[in-house]
Formats: sequence, C-alpha cells, structure tokens
Amino acid sequence: MAKTYDYLFKLLLIGDSGVGKTCILFRFSEDAFNTTFISTIGIDFKIRTIELDNKKIKLQIWDTAGQERFRTITTAYYRGAMGIMLVYDITQEKSFENIKNWIRNIEENASADVEKMLLGNKCELNDKRQVSKERGEQLAIEYGIKFMETSAKASINVEEAFLTLASDIKAKTEKRMEANNPPKGGHQLKLTESRPKDSWLSRCSLL
Amino acid sequence: MSDELPEAFDLVVMGTGFTESCIAAAASRIGKTVLHLDKNEYYGGDSWGSFSLDALCSLLEKEVSESSALRNGSYTWHNVAAVDWDTDAPAVWTREAILAKSRRFNLDLCPRVLYAAGELVQLLIRSNICRYAEFRAVDHVCMNNNGEILSVPCSRSDVFNTKILTMVEKRLLMKFLMACNDYGEDKCNEDSLAFRGRSFVEYLQAQRVTEKIASCVMQSIAMCGPNSTFEEGMQRTQRFLSSLGRYGNTPFLFPMYGCGELPQCFCRLCAVFGGIYCLKRSVDAVSMDSQSQELLVSCEGKTLRAKHLVSGPGQVPINPVTPMRPNISRGLFISCSPLGNEEINKGGGGVNLLRLLADGGTREAIVIQLSHYSGACPEGLYIFHITTPAQSEDPIADLAPFTSQIFQNISQIVFSSHFTLYSPQSVEANALPLSIHCTSGPIYEIDYDAAISEAHRIFKELYPNEEFLPRAPDPEEIVIDGEDPSALNEHSLPEDLRAQLHDMELNSTENQ
Repeated sequence: MAKTYDYLFKLLLIGDSGVGKTCILFRFSEDAFNTTFISTIGIDFKIRTIELDNKKIKLQIWDTAGQERFRTITTAYYRGAMGIMLVYDITQEKSFENIKNWIRNIEENASADVEKMLLGNKCELNDKRQVSKERGEQLAIEYGIKFMETSAKASINVEEAFLTLASDIKAKTEKRMEANNPPKGGHQLKLTESRPKDSWLSRCSLL
Repeated sequence: MSDELPEAFDLVVMGTGFTESCIAAAASRIGKTVLHLDKNEYYGGDSWGSFSLDALCSLLEKEVSESSALRNGSYTWHNVAAVDWDTDAPAVWTREAILAKSRRFNLDLCPRVLYAAGELVQLLIRSNICRYAEFRAVDHVCMNNNGEILSVPCSRSDVFNTKILTMVEKRLLMKFLMACNDYGEDKCNEDSLAFRGRSFVEYLQAQRVTEKIASCVMQSIAMCGPNSTFEEGMQRTQRFLSSLGRYGNTPFLFPMYGCGELPQCFCRLCAVFGGIYCLKRSVDAVSMDSQSQELLVSCEGKTLRAKHLVSGPGQVPINPVTPMRPNISRGLFISCSPLGNEEINKGGGGVNLLRLLADGGTREAIVIQLSHYSGACPEGLYIFHITTPAQSEDPIADLAPFTSQIFQNISQIVFSSHFTLYSPQSVEANALPLSIHCTSGPIYEIDYDAAISEAHRIFKELYPNEEFLPRAPDPEEIVIDGEDPSALNEHSLPEDLRAQLHDMELNSTENQ
C-alpha cells in the first residue's frame, strides 16, 4: 500500500487534570465536544492528516489517559514524541503554576529537541479568569516557546495551535533531513508481519 | 483536580511489575474498575524496572529489609585512565563523564530478550499493546568457542556465508536444522521414535555432528543442558527456527529503552480503559468485610473496598511473612568497548546475545550486550547484563565462572555491579482469602512465557469466562459524528466493547 502522507508526527498533550486536554484533542480531530465515553472504548490517540506547503502530514496526537492525575505518566508515553502541547486552564491558577513541573517532567523523559507550545485553554470563560493572557505570554517567552489562548468548547484557536506546532516540527525535520541525519528508530511490531510456519526453509534454496 | 479516589473497585492491583501490570491491563480491558498502586515512586515493582545510573547506584546502596527483592548489591568504579587506548578510541570515559550521562541509561534489573514469534510478541500484537513499544532486532546470537566469541549462523544464508564452519559442517548443520524443523510433522519418523525419552545430547551425537556444531546447537540454538531430553531439545530448536526471518537476522528482539518499558505498556493500556494509577502509595493492611465479602484495603489513612486484590511480592503486608529466597544472580557492567571482534560489532556494535555454560554445561548464564542502538545507554558505551540462576547469596561468586570466560582481556570495563533478586517462596494457597492473589516475581527464563502464563492463570481465576487481553481498537475505528456522543459509529469497534458500551447506556437510562 502506498504511503498516504509525507510526514508522521507524534504529538503529546500534557497538563493537569481537567484543563481540557481531551476536549482539545476531540475538537481538533473530530470537531466534536463531548467525551463522556472515552474510557469505555479506550481512546489513546487520535489521528488527523493536515496539509502544509503541499505536504501531507499525519498527526498522531496522544492523550495522557488520566495518568497525569497522580503524576504517573509512563516513560513510554514520551518516547519518540516530536511535539508537546502544554495545556493549562485560564480559570485555574494551580494548573498554570504546575506548567513548570510539567516542563521539568518533559526534560527528564522526552528527547531534548522536542518542540513545545503553551496553551491557555477555556478562554471562553473570561469572567472566571485567574491567569491573565500576559502571564501566559511571559511564561512562554521564559521557556522560548510559542503561546496561544484556546477554547475547545467555543472552537477558538485549536486548529491554529496544532497547525503552528506541526509547521515548526516540519521546519525542524526538513532542516535535519538537509543535514542528512535522519533519526534512527527500532522495529514496530505489525500484525501483517506474521508468516507461515515453514518460511525458514522457503527463504532460499541453495545448499 | 483533587486527589480524591473512588472508594470501591472491582480490582486493586499492588505493584507495577510485569505480571501485575499484565493482569491490571487485562481486567481494565474487559470493563472492570481497576486501581493500580505501587509502593515505589517508579514503575516496575521491585524487580522489573529500568533505572538511570544514579538511581541504580542508590538502589544498590539501599538498606535491605526482610521483604526486599534486591539484595547483596555492590558496585565498583574502575579506573580506565591507565588503559592504553587504541589510536581511534573515543574520548576517555571517566566516572564523572559517565555520571553526567546518568539519565541516558536505562538499566534493567531483569533484562530479557523476546522470541520474535514467542508468547509475549504474540500477546502484544493480539492485544494491540505493541503500539506502545519499539524493538531492536538482536544483531547477533553468539557462542563461546574456546575463549573466542563467534556469531552463530541463524538464517539459511548465514549458514551458507559463515566463515566459522567448514563446507562439511555447513551441510551437517543444515541437515540437522531441517530435521528439527520437520520434527513432529511426521509422527512415524524413525529417527524421532528411536530417541523418544533419551537425551538431546545423545541425539546430537548420533547425527555425527562436529564438536563446533554441537556447541553451536547446545549453547545458542537449542539452549539446552546435558540433561535436556530429546523432546525438549527439539522443541527449543523449533522455537528458535520459527522466530527466524520475521524482523531481523536473528530470532530475538530487545525492547528499545530497556525491558522496564514493557510493564509500563500494559499500564498504559489499563489507564486508557479507565484504570487509575498511583505510585508511591503503600497498603498498610488488608482485611475482609465478612458481610459483603469485600476486601477492605487501608491505604494511607483511607479505606477502599475491592472485590479482588492482586499483589506483587513485598507490596502488601501478609501474615505470616513469606520468606524470600535468592532467585537470580545478576551482574551489570558498563564498558568502553563491545564484546568480541569487529565482525560481530559492525557499525560500533549493537545488541548481542550470548549464552554461557559452566560446570560441564550444568550451569548457564545469559549475557546481553547493549549499545546505544538499544536506547539503553549513551553512544560509545556498552552495557553487559549477565543473569544466572542463584546458587548462593553471593552474586559475585555465582557469576565468576561466566565473567572469567568473557572478561579475561577486557580492561575497558568502567563500572561493575552485582546483586541478587529474591523471590518469595510460594505462598500457601489456603493461607490467603480466595479474593487475594499473589504473583511470584521474575524467574530465570529467556522471554516472558512463565510470567505471562502466571498472569493468565490469575486472570482466569478472577474472571473465568472472560477473554484475556482481546484486541484494543485502533483509533481509526472510533469515529464520532458531531456533538452527540450517541452518534459514535460502533460498527467498527470490537464486539466486546460494543457490548460494554450498551451496558453503560442501559445503566445511565436506568439511573435517570
């Protein structure tokens, strides 16, 4: 089967419980906003293919599966991630303060050159706001990353945020490819790779 | 969000070792509510985790209690500055330089390789848990031939191309492997009838193979000892052959970033299906509510109700305390150069497997060499994991017959460490209430067959009529239309999930 995309990027959503990570994921991947059943059917990532500069980019966006709640995110979650959305809730001061803990966590577990972006979600709830837009911008500058305020519910900036992150990763990837230094990975196990029992004998008929 | 936990669970699992994580994932997957705890602040329980170099050193220094799995720990730094470097040797690895890269190490307490067609690989594929892991195909399966480490030819073309065998030996080996491959298909085969009940060594001798081929087969292909039966040897050879040609040049895989990733993959699946995770939480006491027959699990001042409890070794206080016995002796070495010659370390060396024998073949050890291609150590350094069944409480003495075979000339080892993994002696089944199940910790084996079969057995005791880790849906199969969750397109979901979803809908309408 021919590959239907030019790039595949693994992206992560990270941040405190209840900041709306899953809602952001669903807004972007399904343009939907209701996620009551996810733990029953077991969603751990969503896929959406976008187009940037005539390149098809398949975004594989992983959710924390609730393991952020007690800070028990598995190291496997971070492996191979190329981009991370750090999300806080503008109506929850604590979730904003915790961003620096999450950044430390990322530094310990993710690869050093992972692209990051800061999102202040639930910006439709302006009357309950606890974190000003300026503080969000300031924190992003401190870490040298991009920043946006989003609303998964009102569908504000979610699309823009993912497109921005994807295009930054794309630029980085293409730069690295020009330097002719593609990253080396391992094998992924695939269902289709099973073979008939006697393959060992049928491989070659010499001898 | 607060730290408030729900108060009742179908299953509480203590310990995030391989076996416990497998059971937690399987229970969560079929819709049970699962709480998964570990007294440690890391995944893997007491024996199955991977550690940075700093963390490993602190573990080895840690004081031992009567429930500790890791004991007799020690480590030494060796001064390599005095070594004569080859002209093209990399920068000198001092202790400081290595410790500065501590986090780049993923050092396994219990390293394993997986057969490419083995139980675990099949389970990972069947359940779709394979999406959480990546693997490195083992580059070479090696043997020790009178002090020289040689690559054992695995595939047919390997046999044809190898320089370690003569033309006659190649023919003999091929003939032998073909016979093993066909074994069991023709029940009336005279050869196999004649050797039923005899030893595998006798069979090998009867094939008039040379000494080199015999050690090839015994050490690395069949992985047998002098007492292995003919049937055992044939089955093990078949296991080796059936895993060939799937992913790489050898029949084995090693998990990228170390074996400590594997329990976490199962935990991730458990969480995706709603399992709740807390690390660094210990259980103080477990009692039985005689009225409801539920377990009352007291956990840091809070009492939780559970229908069942699964506990890894040393995670839950159980009276009387089950004595721990030495189970696996381990050596873990960091070196500046790989084992063996250039031939088996092309491109700077990869992941190699070597099985060593001692005491006339009655004792064995598995050596796994890892380079940076495994994601388990920084570039330019190599990890050697040596594992043998414990004979005593002294891992250094247990491993001496093996380390002396491979480290005679290596002055480039910069760090050496030893420890013993202890396991509880089997718990008297009737000493525990029926709703408590204990796992036994790792045993000495290649691959994870025993661990999976234990997880499977406990799962079947808990839920006799349920499937063990059925396939989890691919994200593409879950299609949601618009704002209404009932518009979920269920038809592409696996059948059991469709049923669970309907139950949930029924319950929610009843509640209204």
